[in-house]
Amino acid sequence: MIKKRNIFLKESSLKKRSYIKKGKRNRSKRKFRGEKGRVIYAKLEIGKNNKIYEKKRKGKQEGKKVKDITPKYRNKEAVKRLTEKIRDEAKKIDRNVTIMHVCGTHEHDIVKAGIRALLPKNVELIAGPGCPTCCVSALDIDEVLWLADHHNLTITTFGDMMRVPSSNESLYQAQARGLDVRVVYSISDAVNLARTHPELDVLFFSVGFETTSCITAAEVLRVDLPNFSIYSSHKLVPPAMKLLLQRDDIEFHGFIAPGHVSTIIGSNPYEFIPREFHFPVSVGGFEPVDILLSIYSLLKQIRTDSPIVSNDYKRYVKPEGNVAAIKAMEEAFVVSEVRWRGLGTWPLSGSEISDDYAHIDAKKRFSIPKLEGKDLHSKCRCDEVLIGKTKPQECPLFMKACRPDHPVGACMVSHEGTCNVAATYGSFLEELQE
Amino acid sequence: MCLAIPARVCEVLGNNMVKVEITGVVREADTSLLSEEVKEGDYVLVHTGFCISKLDEEQAKEDLKLWDELLLE
Repeated sequence: MIKKRNIFLKESSLKKRSYIKKGKRNRSKRKFRGEKGRVIYAKLEIGKNNKIYEKKRKGKQEGKKVKDITPKYRNKEAVKRLTEKIRDEAKKIDRNVTIMHVCGTHEHDIVKAGIRALLPKNVELIAGPGCPTCCVSALDIDEVLWLADHHNLTITTFGDMMRVPSSNESLYQAQARGLDVRVVYSISDAVNLARTHPELDVLFFSVGFETTSCITAAEVLRVDLPNFSIYSSHKLVPPAMKLLLQRDDIEFHGFIAPGHVSTIIGSNPYEFIPREFHFPVSVGGFEPVDILLSIYSLLKQIRTDSPIVSNDYKRYVKPEGNVAAIKAMEEAFVVSEVRWRGLGTWPLSGSEISDDYAHIDAKKRFSIPKLEGKDLHSKCRCDEVLIGKTKPQECPLFMKACRPDHPVGACMVSHEGTCNVAATYGSFLEELQE
Repeated sequence: MCLAIPARVCEVLGNNMVKVEITGVVREADTSLLSEEVKEGDYVLVHTGFCISKLDEEQAKEDLKLWDELLLE
């Protein structure tokens, strides 16, 4: 007998009934009457629902297989044993070894996981220029603000950029005095804003290393809107590494190459480092075991004096990288010189939009006058912090005038910035080391 | 900024778009920069709304095997 409550069920609500989802009654072929008097067979609906439910369950199981792997990269036992191995290697080397990484996320994860406290006394980890927002020159922000002021543009950019100081003000301060500045998660959001609001002239302030520039490149190649332009302040990692190697004011003995940049460019572009400079490189991941493994691999290379590019993040990084992304970058950008904060203009280490896409390049669409600006405020030592020459704690402004809630220098802004990381996790680490 | 986050593909939407789940947050991501196909349940690195790399599961397992060997040395 059909129960009353089942008679006037809508087909859609029938699907939603939890007891049907659970498939409790799917063995009996029950008749229900649908809204329009159509007889529907519950089994059919249940069958359909069961299938969806099973499909979801299957997806979860597949995910679980991978999820099981991640804790292994944080495994306490593996960290302990790797640390012992690192200590053994360091003992055999018997001199001070300094390793530089060039990735803001590496600095964040190293400090957060307390990896420096695990290392032997003669092994030191220093942070190179890896935080993209820290490297953006104040003049670039000045130019973007000038464009917005003089051409009535809507500035869109990543949240990290908002508080980075320019010569006079940050984008937040500009927003407070009335400029239209909006935070977007992705360049696609900026494109959508331009598409849905043809009355706005949208400028996307694009910063970042290869990880971000390939995404900008993908948009450059496909977007065709008269009211959208891009200001590119993109930088390249391998040329920057080369310039760091050519400086004689910083001494270090190995590079941990940035994992996420390497998912794009691959491990091949670093090959010149062991070949030309006889210098070891390890492409590193971001879990504690990944980072320790990179350090171990570098120490081994230093001890045996056999530098290579060792890919220690194989699960994401291929030697050739992401071919489609590299192709997009090559098509949309040309390699150019670029300003680094406090470090002057470095040759061949930036990406400018190619002439074929000049209509989208803000620098070519509008003529920007030569502006005077300064990267560093008095006593700020961001330039030295950027290249690992000075530790954040050695800067006279650190946690005095320059704090995460009131950044004076660019390195204090983003959560990848060396000073910001030191301010966030530093005191905890000092306690740990004691 | 160069912070790419591992996410699980929970739905393929077509037209180079997928829905990904990042620690419980579901959002759309563009796959036009990936040369390989992605399917439900795959792990990808997502950076500013674009998938930039796909997790090589076999390689991940092989890595772990190598580590075990290395650590037992």
